[in-house]
Amino acid sequence: MTTWTVPRPKPSPLQQWWVLTIRVIAPTLRSGELAVAISLSAVFTASLYLPLKGIITTVVQGSYAQYVMPMIALQAVYFSAMSGALRSATDSVQEINLRFRAMPIAPMVPLAARMSGNVYRCATALATAVLCGYVIGFRFYRGVEYTFGFCLLVLMIGIALSLVGDLIGIVSKNPEATTHILLLPQLILGMLSVGILPPEQFPGWLQPVVRNQFYSQFVYALRALAGDATRSVAWPTWSVIGPALAWLAGIMLVAVQLYAYVLRRQR
Amino acid sequence: MNAVIQKDSLPGRVPLFDDVRPYLDRTQSERSLLLLVLHTWVLTQRILIRWSHDVQTVLQALILPPMFLASINLVFGNLVSAVSGHSALYGSVPMAALVGAVFGSTAGAICLMHERDEGLLARFWVLPVHRAADLLSRLAAEVVRIVATTALVMATGLALGLRFTQGIPAIGLWMSVPVAFGVAFAFLVTTLALYIVNTVLAESTGIVVALLFFFSTGFVPLAQYPSWLQPVVQHQPLSYAVEAMRGLSLGGPVLIPTIATLFWSAGIAVLCMYPMLMGYRHTCMR
Repeated sequence: MTTWTVPRPKPSPLQQWWVLTIRVIAPTLRSGELAVAISLSAVFTASLYLPLKGIITTVVQGSYAQYVMPMIALQAVYFSAMSGALRSATDSVQEINLRFRAMPIAPMVPLAARMSGNVYRCATALATAVLCGYVIGFRFYRGVEYTFGFCLLVLMIGIALSLVGDLIGIVSKNPEATTHILLLPQLILGMLSVGILPPEQFPGWLQPVVRNQFYSQFVYALRALAGDATRSVAWPTWSVIGPALAWLAGIMLVAVQLYAYVLRRQR
Repeated sequence: MNAVIQKDSLPGRVPLFDDVRPYLDRTQSERSLLLLVLHTWVLTQRILIRWSHDVQTVLQALILPPMFLASINLVFGNLVSAVSGHSALYGSVPMAALVGAVFGSTAGAICLMHERDEGLLARFWVLPVHRAADLLSRLAAEVVRIVATTALVMATGLALGLRFTQGIPAIGLWMSVPVAFGVAFAFLVTTLALYIVNTVLAESTGIVVALLFFFSTGFVPLAQYPSWLQPVVQHQPLSYAVEAMRGLSLGGPVLIPTIATLFWSAGIAVLCMYPMLMGYRHTCMR
């Protein structure tokens, strides 16, 4: 009796990552998810700009387009984080992650692939949001390095939110519920932030919360990085950018810790 | 459903399911109106019990709309009141009730999609259940959900300062506007759910509802929109429903917006009726 031996395959993690990334990205082109994401940015820009322009121009300095742009960019990456969460919940509920764990795949590769997919989603969302912003009259006033900083900060926020979304998707294992779990904080945080209205318009007892919650701090930082025609916006010093970066680091840290906990428990 | 347990099972044994010869009461035809009512009643209870166990549906129907109203009022209330000349609540409370009614219908549609995939619809089709009972019970459950959402939103509105000045019958009519509108939208979403397979449904419904919401007279007064957009804003279904409800609470024109709301609702329902019935039949016989 002859013994058949096959050389044990030595898969390269890089190639695995690439294959799994394509697996995340390719369906977004086919199923119309990309089209939905792009139209969502446009819908959101139109919805925030057209009805509210007349009312809010009276209470903000400078152009309303300039004022509302950070909000539009943040909403765009928030929605991409939400669709990333949907994807991760679908993967979890179909137990493909379980299958990946049983295969000779490096432990972090599926997560890395999903996160690459999320970076791609956030980048698309950011590009669409900036394009929509240019249509309503938003401009970058500060020069190339600050424009780059603006895009980088939005992307980093998008990655942090995607990590949280991915985690919620894995834990909840329920694609539809995931979207709604994420919709509630988005509604509350988005409205009760300085993104649409200046903080003075809120009742006094709520103002500290409105000023200091992370959404508002991101908006302050992005506004400073984008600048303004009338020079009424603060220069992006560390005291403006710092709180946003601190929030970002905090969210990342907590998310990574929780992630490690969930992965350890699943094993 | 009309199987009756026979009394004379073997002595000393508990009549379990297997021991009982099912006896089917065939005196009523499967198509009789009495059975339609009875079956719809049972199935409506089934859906309501199922919903009450589902966190997402409860969140969407009972928690989200009042919170939505409270935050809208907190953020835009003062500014909109200043430009419209009366309290913004007369627009934003109807708005929240209508958006809640419309947005919640996705939960029912997703429930329908799950039950289709589990094969429950096909099971109903081969059992002696009235053919119309399942679809009717889904619509009846929607009505119950919308009434509950509207009542909660109204209570929130009353707490925030909304007042009804047109008498008791007007309050009843005020509550029935979201029901009419929501049921029409449920026709639409149910039809879509029978034809679309994946989760694109929830997202695209979300976009449509967001557009209806932001571009309606319940959000900001008509004059705030650019003039090229005003005809669209004025004649879209949600604006008419909001105007009817504004008239019924604050006073003002009621007849024309009500007729327009009914026209829109009936139009949507009639357009969806045939595709919905065909899609349902096809889904059940797959």
